[in-house]
Amino acid sequence: MRAFEYRQAEEIREALKRHNVRYLFIGKSGAILLGFPDTTQDADLFVDRSAENARALVAALGELGFGLTDKQASEIESGKDFVQLKNGPFDLDLVFAPDGIERFEDAWNRRVEVEDFPVCHIDDIIASKEAANRERDRESLPRLRSFREYWMQKRTP
Amino acid sequence: MSEKKQEILAEWLAEFEAAERRSLKNRLRYAFIKTYKPVMDDAEFRAFDTMAEYRRWCEENLPRWLGYARV
Repeated sequence: MRAFEYRQAEEIREALKRHNVRYLFIGKSGAILLGFPDTTQDADLFVDRSAENARALVAALGELGFGLTDKQASEIESGKDFVQLKNGPFDLDLVFAPDGIERFEDAWNRRVEVEDFPVCHIDDIIASKEAANRERDRESLPRLRSFREYWMQKRTP
Repeated sequence: MSEKKQEILAEWLAEFEAAERRSLKNRLRYAFIKTYKPVMDDAEFRAFDTMAEYRRWCEENLPRWLGYARV
């Protein structure tokens, strides 16, 4: 499996747009879209967990080349909190209930658009990492919080 | 999120500014890497009912050095 590429990010954006999927980039991939210079392995999508949205997501994933079995598709549609896909052209994590964020709608209202990519606000990305509180998050949070300062200053007129 | 200002290390500030000068396409090109993660990469599909279940699975199955254990 090769590393995730810009072209694939575009394909996600276009396929999910065609199917009207409500989602946001989250995690380190989201931070990177906002400008955070770091490395990561896969893309993380925070997806609105309504049944209609999950069905649209499954259709979009099929178009992107993910080989979902009927059982896997039904697991995505049935409202799991977390799904890890490594059966497509790139690795993708689907997060339906990220730690530290109460409701999709709240994150959606705070979202940032970067070249048409819908991205969680930096505060939501940090909140989810703080709540997850993994060793890898603890290591990356000081630099991410610093980036937040930088990013907020740039956005303040 | 606290609004308290924090000092940005000069080294990090230089990195943030350099990243800002790059196009999004270039930022993504440099950001995504692929290395094999034992256990994690050994299944094509996993689904967890809850995030707590996922976190527990990570702690019980992944090598500690991958950093997925909760602090």
